[in-house]
Amino acid sequence: MEKQSEIIRVTGLPVAAGYNWSAGSQMEGFIKALAKKKIMGAKCSKCGYTYVPPRSRCGKCNAKIEDKDLVEISGKGSLVGYTTARVELDGAGNFQDLKKPKMIGAIKLEGSDSTIFMPIEGIDPKKAKEGMKVKVQWREKAKGELADIVCFKPEKS
Amino acid sequence: MRNVAIIGCGQTKHSSRRRDVNLAELVEEAVTNALVDAEMTMDEVNALVVGNMQGFGGVAQPEQWLGDWIGAPGKPVIRIATGGTTGGSVGQGGYYAVASGLYDVALAVAWEKHSDSREPGATMGLAHVGIANMFHAFNYGLSLKSLAATAGVGAAAGVAVYQARYYMHRSGCSIEHLDMVAAKARRNAAKNKYAHLQWPDCTPEDIAKTELIAYPFRYGHICPASDGASAIVFAEEKIAVKKAKQPAWIKGLASFSDEENQLQSENYGGVGVLDPSEQMGCRMSAKKAYKMAGITDPKKEIDLAEIYQPFPSQELLFAEKLGLFDEGKAWIAMEKGETDINGTIPTDLSGGVNATNAIGSSALQRILECALQIMGKAGEHQAPKKIRNAVAHGWGGNTNYITVTVLGDSPRR
Ligand SMILES: [Zn+2]
Repeated sequence: MEKQSEIIRVTGLPVAAGYNWSAGSQMEGFIKALAKKKIMGAKCSKCGYTYVPPRSRCGKCNAKIEDKDLVEISGKGSLVGYTTARVELDGAGNFQDLKKPKMIGAIKLEGSDSTIFMPIEGIDPKKAKEGMKVKVQWREKAKGELADIVCFKPEKS
Repeated sequence: MRNVAIIGCGQTKHSSRRRDVNLAELVEEAVTNALVDAEMTMDEVNALVVGNMQGFGGVAQPEQWLGDWIGAPGKPVIRIATGGTTGGSVGQGGYYAVASGLYDVALAVAWEKHSDSREPGATMGLAHVGIANMFHAFNYGLSLKSLAATAGVGAAAGVAVYQARYYMHRSGCSIEHLDMVAAKARRNAAKNKYAHLQWPDCTPEDIAKTELIAYPFRYGHICPASDGASAIVFAEEKIAVKKAKQPAWIKGLASFSDEENQLQSENYGGVGVLDPSEQMGCRMSAKKAYKMAGITDPKKEIDLAEIYQPFPSQELLFAEKLGLFDEGKAWIAMEKGETDINGTIPTDLSGGVNATNAIGSSALQRILECALQIMGKAGEHQAPKKIRNAVAHGWGGNTNYITVTVLGDSPRR
């Protein structure tokens, strides 16, 4: 927290709306841990539900989740659901065709009750199946950014 | 309507930037504090009424994000947004939920997280007031630079500056009196651990040294933009009596808008009145709320006021519209110390909106502060005299909408 009595002085008249969301206490830790190629989760000490990414209040039982409840999660998991995108936005509000289809999957990591959405590579969409085992593919040099997780790939590849 | 009382209050510490928490975590802090104060768990809460300023913080439906941080799953949730009065409307919504008999315990939650907007003043959320300011500029010839200054300092400064001018003209109040109100707000805030702009021993001379933005407003007159949240637990009579030693009873309430709506006024080609200090909506709200509360002479029967005063002129003019002083006389009473902690009608002992402005939460905090004073829980800024009746005010909408809530130490009979 910065100095609490501080006033933020205005300079210039804003012409465009921009936002600057706080990630939150647990999410910040999650992002920082990515630099060490670690995926952190939070296990509710009351009901046992485990969240990836971690959060500070259990949405299931309303219990407070503390730092001591953080657990390291393996980068292995299974595909819960998936879709295959054939178009993407061009940044100006228009669709453009993708050169090759892009698979996006909901993945339940081992030890986690929640799912994360990630790009999937190395699986032929025609042969994809719920329950397939996948593992995380890290960026070679992790920097402590969400982009450190490049995608998920089949566990045996 | 059955009797309803406040049995628990919670706030966060307010500051310019609460970057340590996200929106959900910020709001959860206030809710947790309110439940602890009420000695309750979320299981005992039946319904939630929540709100912040529309468009602020860049989240269109923030209640959908933070709902499962505050125990809302499986419970009815209503979000209310009425501009600056949002917190006042949220508090009144909490009252309605219980008074109607639909629920026995309701939680009212309001917040703002200004620092989540990259630009000060939560740009897009304030666009509606900004447009109104622009029409003032066209009509009165305010320069673009002054417009930028008034728009940039936060909230509805561009509108309030004209309102202050009208009030001063009618009442004889001078800019030095505005310095006194602002200094009082900062001194009071120093005794409120949750407040933002805390300045112990601040003098009117200190405020007078700050730069003039647009006459009569100096930099030291203007409220900050705060990150913060507040929450109140409302309960029906039997539960309230069982749970709280001294509940703060809701005795009367009302809300009115009037033609000073900046988007319907003459400035905009509408038919609204020109004098923005008239605030008929406040008189109408006060009249109705006092009647419901059984108060016939607010000057004698109201012991304390929490007035929504992002600008010091508003503490004075709204005190008059609330019937606490004669028209044009509030500044004289203020000068005599009647609105100080030992005065006849202590006003904004919390420091008010002038010292802390998490906009969506600001009008709920007025109700909360009155409740604290009645419950005897205000701590360092507790009024020494017994508070039997207190009035909480909110100003918002499009600078035309008012909420008035009358609280007391005994239920309505
Ligand atoms: Zn849990």
